[in-house]
Amino acid sequence: MTLINVWQNILNGLAVGSVYAIFAVGYTLIFSILRIINFAHGAVFTVSAYFTYLLTGSAINTNGTLHKLFTDGFGAPALPIKLPFVIALLVGGLLAGLVGMLLDRIAFRPLRQRGADPLLTLVSSLGVAVAMVNLIQYFFGAEIYSYPANPFGNIPAAVNFGTADTPVPVRTIQVIIFFVAIVIVIFLTWLINSTKLGKALRAVSEDAVTASLLGINTDRIIMFTFFLSAFLGGISGTLVGVSVGVAGPYFGITYGLKGLAVIVLGGLGDIPGAIIGGIVLGLAEAFVPPQFVAFKEAVAFLILFLVLVIRPQGILGRAAVVKV
Amino acid sequence: MAEFYTTYGFLITSMVLAAAMALSLYLPLMAGQLSLASPGFYAIGGYIAAVLSTQVFHPGPGPYPLYLVLIEMLVAALVSAALAVLVGVPALRLRGIYLALATIAFVEILRILSLNLPILGGAVGIFGIPQPFNTQGEYIWLGLPLLLIAMVFIYRLERTRMGRAFYAIREDETAADAMGINPTATKVIAFTMGAVLAGVVGVIAAHFLNTWNARQGTFDSSINYLAYVLIGGSWTVFGPVVGGLLLTALPEILRGLASFRFILFGILIAVGAIFFPQGIITPELLSRFRRGRQPGRPASGGQQASQTHGPAK
Amino acid sequence: MDQLSSTATIEPVTPGGEVVLEVRGLTRRFGGLVAVNDVAFDVREGEIFGLIGPNGAGKTTVFNMITGLTPVTKGSVALHGENITGLKPYQIAQRGMARTFQNIRLFGNLSALTNVEIARHTHTGSGIIAGVIGLPRARAEERLTRQRALELLALVGLADRAEEKARNFPYGDQRRLEIARALALQPKVLLLDEPAAGMNTGEKAELSDFIRRIRRDFDLTVLLIEHHVPLVMGLCDRIAVLDFGHLIALGAPEIVQRDRRVIEAYLGEGE
Repeated sequence: MTLINVWQNILNGLAVGSVYAIFAVGYTLIFSILRIINFAHGAVFTVSAYFTYLLTGSAINTNGTLHKLFTDGFGAPALPIKLPFVIALLVGGLLAGLVGMLLDRIAFRPLRQRGADPLLTLVSSLGVAVAMVNLIQYFFGAEIYSYPANPFGNIPAAVNFGTADTPVPVRTIQVIIFFVAIVIVIFLTWLINSTKLGKALRAVSEDAVTASLLGINTDRIIMFTFFLSAFLGGISGTLVGVSVGVAGPYFGITYGLKGLAVIVLGGLGDIPGAIIGGIVLGLAEAFVPPQFVAFKEAVAFLILFLVLVIRPQGILGRAAVVKV
Repeated sequence: MAEFYTTYGFLITSMVLAAAMALSLYLPLMAGQLSLASPGFYAIGGYIAAVLSTQVFHPGPGPYPLYLVLIEMLVAALVSAALAVLVGVPALRLRGIYLALATIAFVEILRILSLNLPILGGAVGIFGIPQPFNTQGEYIWLGLPLLLIAMVFIYRLERTRMGRAFYAIREDETAADAMGINPTATKVIAFTMGAVLAGVVGVIAAHFLNTWNARQGTFDSSINYLAYVLIGGSWTVFGPVVGGLLLTALPEILRGLASFRFILFGILIAVGAIFFPQGIITPELLSRFRRGRQPGRPASGGQQASQTHGPAK
Repeated sequence: MDQLSSTATIEPVTPGGEVVLEVRGLTRRFGGLVAVNDVAFDVREGEIFGLIGPNGAGKTTVFNMITGLTPVTKGSVALHGENITGLKPYQIAQRGMARTFQNIRLFGNLSALTNVEIARHTHTGSGIIAGVIGLPRARAEERLTRQRALELLALVGLADRAEEKARNFPYGDQRRLEIARALALQPKVLLLDEPAAGMNTGEKAELSDFIRRIRRDFDLTVLLIEHHVPLVMGLCDRIAVLDFGHLIALGAPEIVQRDRRVIEAYLGEGE
């Protein structure tokens, strides 16, 4: 393998890895505060991509119910607004955040109040994910959606990481995703470690009962956590949708499974770990030798299984001490 | 009656097989292990049947002999058991969500392997699997006995030494350890039982569905099985069966609602998890059926006196 | 303050009795914390041996190391001459050592009867298939298991509530149930972790009598952790005193209770 190939693989790995990473951050954030895996994260990731699409004033395909609804109401199968992409991205994320809060309120809070087994929360989140994905399909139809071209305006479509003679292009959107991942981690680390809100988050994560006895409104903190996780997940979903196209309502769910490998690899609940796990997985997939390329998809799950069996706390997690 | 069965034979047989798959998840759960590995063993069983019947056994013309199906079941049982021990011994040292994740990984690895192995037909899979019966409804002759045998087995198991060991581990693994029960060995036994059941169901399903590919036995199915158990009832043998029968029939019953049925299904799962944490069929419910209504008992602060879990008598 | 494995208190030798449990240099360290430091003692056959000390002295950690629940950093434990250090809890249970827990670890959702029947697992051996089918030998074994379990429940006065869920029992009964369960293991050595916690004076006296009785009837050696010093003084043949993980005294009760260090350790304990 030539040096250029290695470099290309590394860049591909980083690009794919950052996608995994930004998905995983919201996933692991919920786990770090609530010790649950929220399978609905994939659905939220997806729904935000659709929200943003609507907000850019783009058209809905004929198979979605919204097609008829909007045509009757607005005269055209689209929202009568046309926000610039970055605004639509943020508003879409905010809407996703609201959805996240709603999910907490209707699907997770009742379980918390009943002191339910985390397994039941898992199942509940699965049920919610199924319902949401099918709702999306009902409203939007199952076809591929693509965002309008040049969403970020007139910036070059690709960045050259090589030289003029041996160009190594990487699509600009992938570079953007990489930087967004870094920014998110820096933001979250700052939030959790240096703010009062972060302290409350950490208190709730350690011991929700004591935290509430100390005057922390745990329900509000948890709602905020869901909002934040969904907002970040939403932004991520839209960016990934721009990068690879929105392949259908199940677009986010497929990341959900690989996302499990990422968060376990990085350490369940560890936020920088989510980024590291994502990058490691991306690189691992990029360096699969050509003769095994058919098995590339299995790399994530092989890693997941091996990490669990050998070092369940992942790269950055601390080994749990079991008290007798 | 015959009319009903020709129309609904496929559905009824599917319901029965789903109930059996729910039991395959129930078995490790009795020992406190949430394993989502059943679809993997189901897929293996199906592939064994598919490969054996299309490429190895060459029976003459006419319906496929039942004794060959039984041989396939035996092979599937042995292979599933061996694989279950191999995978179970390292994986079952994990607890809770970690074990569930390891089993998810196992199923996905198997799925991707099966997509890419030529002998298994790659992405297209294997089709034209020979049929021992003429109609799909007749598969009930294989499915129902299997389900009943599994139910009786589990029902009896609960009242024996090993069943008690399962429950002990489910309740408190450390205390069970201190009372002389080998936790890993016991968990592997429970896991292997579930694997064998799933593998055998897979054999039946392969003939039933006539084709077999990597889409049989995926993470999605394990969600379904989990729902059958958690909603049907995770503390008695009848729970998963009721859950499997009911929740398989439900999308059909709701067929009139078109795309709403999956939305409803998802909502039902979430609602079930919230309001029926023990599932619908609970031990308390069962003992009320058995003994008739309880004579009025003074409530003692939410305690349920005289109700036992697990082996009743 | 560094104690070696021998202590300063001289113990009168208890006549007879071979050593059943031998603990040497037992140490438990995790992180930077040393919970148990170089503890050594022998327990002789038929003794009732007490392990006392202020809160946090490391008593339960010693129990956990002896029974295999907590890894041993240094040192060794031998049962009937066999080195059991590092064995898993079920292996140690199979060798005839049973225990109860400070925080009661019953199988809460199972009936009292089932709790006790479970502890007979090691001493029964019917195969799974034989049991499920209901072969005569398996059924006979089941009947015997049930009968023995009922006998033990009767011993602790719980036979009339055999089918009730363990977690519905009042606290004191749960402790007794835990002892019945431990006895079902047919142990030679019984470890009781704070068996009298939460009991009033009358109940404690009953417990003392009960422990003496089962020692005699079941031919046991008993090792018990207890907080309540008077109970221990009246019941135990010998006592070991722990403080901050160190063994500071070992010997007959009358001698130990006059040991200066023991008195100091307990000052402020309010016993």
